[in-house]
Amino acid sequence: MQAWLIIAYGLLIVAGVALLVFAFRTGDRRYLYLAVLLFVVFPVVIVLKFPTEISPETQLLYDAVEKLPDSSNVLLTFDYYASTLAETEPMSRATLRHLFRKDCRVLTMTTIPLGGPSIAERVTREIAAEMGKVYGVDYVNLGYKANYVAVLKGMGSSIEAIYPTDNSGTPLAKLPMMSRIKNYADISFIIAIADNDIVSYWISIVRAQYGTPVGTGVTAVSAPQYYAYVGAGQLTGMLGGMKGAAEYEALVGHPDRATKGMTAQSLVHLFIIFSVVAGNVIFLIQKRRAGAGGQA
Amino acid sequence: MKTTVPVIIAFLAGLVMVLAFFFDPEKSFVGRLEPEVLRWVTIVGGFTLLLGVVSIIRVNYGGVHRRSSGWGYKLATVVSVFAMAIPAMLPTRMSPLFGNGPGSIYDWLFNNIDAPMMSTMFAMLAFYIASAAFRAFRARSPEATLLLVTAVLVMLWRVPMGEAMLKGIHHSLPEYINTYIMGGANLAVQRGIIIGAALGAAAMSLRIMLGIERTYMGN
Amino acid sequence: MSAIEIFQIWIAAFFTLALFSFLYRDNPCYRLAEHVFAGLSAGYEVGLIWNSVIIQQMIDPMFTGGEWWLVFPGLLGVLMFARFTRDYHWVSRIPLAFVMGTTAGIFLLSELHGKVLPQVQSTMRSVNPSEGIGGVVLSLLIIVGVISTLIYFYFSKEHKGVLGGVAKLGIWFIMVSFGAHFGYTVMARISLLIGRVQFLIYDWGDTFTRIFS
Repeated sequence: MQAWLIIAYGLLIVAGVALLVFAFRTGDRRYLYLAVLLFVVFPVVIVLKFPTEISPETQLLYDAVEKLPDSSNVLLTFDYYASTLAETEPMSRATLRHLFRKDCRVLTMTTIPLGGPSIAERVTREIAAEMGKVYGVDYVNLGYKANYVAVLKGMGSSIEAIYPTDNSGTPLAKLPMMSRIKNYADISFIIAIADNDIVSYWISIVRAQYGTPVGTGVTAVSAPQYYAYVGAGQLTGMLGGMKGAAEYEALVGHPDRATKGMTAQSLVHLFIIFSVVAGNVIFLIQKRRAGAGGQA
Repeated sequence: MKTTVPVIIAFLAGLVMVLAFFFDPEKSFVGRLEPEVLRWVTIVGGFTLLLGVVSIIRVNYGGVHRRSSGWGYKLATVVSVFAMAIPAMLPTRMSPLFGNGPGSIYDWLFNNIDAPMMSTMFAMLAFYIASAAFRAFRARSPEATLLLVTAVLVMLWRVPMGEAMLKGIHHSLPEYINTYIMGGANLAVQRGIIIGAALGAAAMSLRIMLGIERTYMGN
Repeated sequence: MSAIEIFQIWIAAFFTLALFSFLYRDNPCYRLAEHVFAGLSAGYEVGLIWNSVIIQQMIDPMFTGGEWWLVFPGLLGVLMFARFTRDYHWVSRIPLAFVMGTTAGIFLLSELHGKVLPQVQSTMRSVNPSEGIGGVVLSLLIIVGVISTLIYFYFSKEHKGVLGGVAKLGIWFIMVSFGAHFGYTVMARISLLIGRVQFLIYDWGDTFTRIFS
């Protein structure tokens, strides 16, 4: 590592510890906020590259998609709000690049009323333009319909009954890709990118009844609960948080924002661990002093 | 009648769904009825989403009308609702700025104002969680210590720098954390919670269908 | 990068910084941004329901597809607004019961068939010595963990004796899981902040070089 980098990061650590001490001394938590901001901004500007180890769950999803025959029909869901774009959009981008690279026909939809259709339109159109894919032939955006339980169940019988048109209002019958996709039986794989519990319904309603394999990308908040489904074989792979997105970007060979964010993620985690340990050490010292004072 | 009719409707609607699970989707009557019922549910469900919008307009318009404290901000809310809704409801053939497609006012307002604000609101939680971790996360008992130690290990394992540090202690330590903590203890607890919650949800669904549970109807 | 693109990035940056300013203290900029956000979100729902439900699911199929019976779910939907009236608010129970009943019917079977049975089946693992010490430990960890967690959450009997001991073991497993949850939650929140900072530095920062170059 270059000397100037070591000096720069060393100064950053000193500044962080100093701000932590000010926060403790003054009781003003804004010093702590400033420390967190420093530890995020600095590595975003000066990126330190660390190799990303691929977790088994991410590898499982990648391998499942890689094994799909080219030109398979895949359903990719955008079941997330704009509030979690930092974690979920990189997952959508990386999986879309992978699917388009395999010439898969990608059907997108969302169960999120606030922003889901707009996010799905924006992301799919950007990646499709990058990879030379044509709307209606290589990908279709179904958009949103209300009541996700009815939507998930209804698509098992007929996608057209629930979505008579795509998101823009074009009848499905006019889209060449949709002539081959009537219901889940015509879909080889479902990738549910989500920031809420909808994935458990993709599993319990769709996977269990119709047998279509489901893989997922979820925010880090919900990732721990889905280990039970991965362990039971009900989920074929899982991307967990920004790290999961960075791992998939590495596998697809297109490092993007998730990969760039890993240095900042690392530093802030180390800072928080340090502050938790420091807080507990101070707590123990104060407890001992109080105990000694009481005995005296 | 005000309660009996809805209870009967809930029972019949649920019964169609339950029976359709067991009968042939193409040859049986319930099998062919199911997709139409689900289609109706998605239409009715759409109107439910508008209830919140009506409430927001009523509350904020009332505040503006009465010139209550902060009425300027309430006016901004009402203006924003109509600024977003009206162009979206106009037909695209009048102008490409109308409707809800890419390039419309609706799409522009969402992608450049609403979405960034939504992202920012949740991004602020990072500061609060760091503050909470420093001020409140204390190993006051053996159980809390176990929670704290696990949290620290997971926080290290989930970042490249931390993973490298753990590998420096033992080359298989990250793998052990994934296998025995996440895929072992955590998996077991989550499975227990899933089983319990699913049994509870199934029981509640039966209660709703049989009319025992009526709280969803309100007063 | 066109002038429009620079303008829209600046608008997004303004509202981002307006919300972040609350971390220093409450101020009119933050309040304005907050209220605009609430209004735009509500307006988005109106546009979405108008296009995706009323036009695409009702008006187009009724007038071009001849599916005139779709007026009935439309009427049911309109009945929902009866809850804003004093004398007829009970009418809104009808569409609500229709939706809740359908959902309940789906959940009754999907929760059992799609969650309980597969998860219980997966817990019935064979403790096979041929899988090595690691495999045996993992299998035992899962079986004991699931049972002790379920027993901890069983409150119909007092946690005494053997039941109490198993519940206590369940608490230890739960602490490990909650610790993992906390670690992941910290990761999630930090990731969201990194996303906004990346926008401010990469996207907004890029506009400065475009403007001043």
